[in-house]
Amino acid sequence: MKKTILIFVIAGLVLVTLIFWAVNSKLSGGLPEILMLAGALIVVGFAFFLGAMRLRSKLRKEPAEDELSKRVKTKASSLSFYISIYLWLFIMYISDKTTLEADSLIGAGIMGMAIVFFLSWIGIKFIGPRYE
Amino acid sequence: MNNRIKELRARFNLSQLELAQQVGVRRETIVFLEKGKYNPSLKLAFDISRVFKLPIEEVFIFGV
Repeated sequence: MKKTILIFVIAGLVLVTLIFWAVNSKLSGGLPEILMLAGALIVVGFAFFLGAMRLRSKLRKEPAEDELSKRVKTKASSLSFYISIYLWLFIMYISDKTTLEADSLIGAGIMGMAIVFFLSWIGIKFIGPRYE
Repeated sequence: MNNRIKELRARFNLSQLELAQQVGVRRETIVFLEKGKYNPSLKLAFDISRVFKLPIEEVFIFGV
């Protein structure tokens, strides 16, 4: 239960920070800002979704995690790591061809890694872990 | 690997949630097992077989 509460607290804090950032930084509404905001919202939404699933398991008196959910998480982690290597290679490639600053590129890379993990998790969860 | 979980669950009049609670996994894991999308660990396979009071090889059929 502690872990579930922690997930909600962290996701809530990130959401509040995002709202503050969006309100105070006077967003120009450009494509990079919208993409950044959308990516962050996907990540926060994913955290809330995970928290809700854990809560539902608790209400059903099921374990929050079992061998299938751990295997899905492990497979999603390994797949997203593999994809992230190519993501960073792509970022390195475009870094010379774009006017974006280094910290923006690093931020985009980290956000991309989170989104890649989210997509890998969704894919493996619904398809099911393939057998070795 | 095939299994007879769905058939045995019906025979023992158990819901997916009840079986999941008895073997200590989530209902979703039983759903994946019944669909043949997931191979259980040896411990889970033994736990499920014990619920049905059958030898493991009568619940899980390897190589079919």
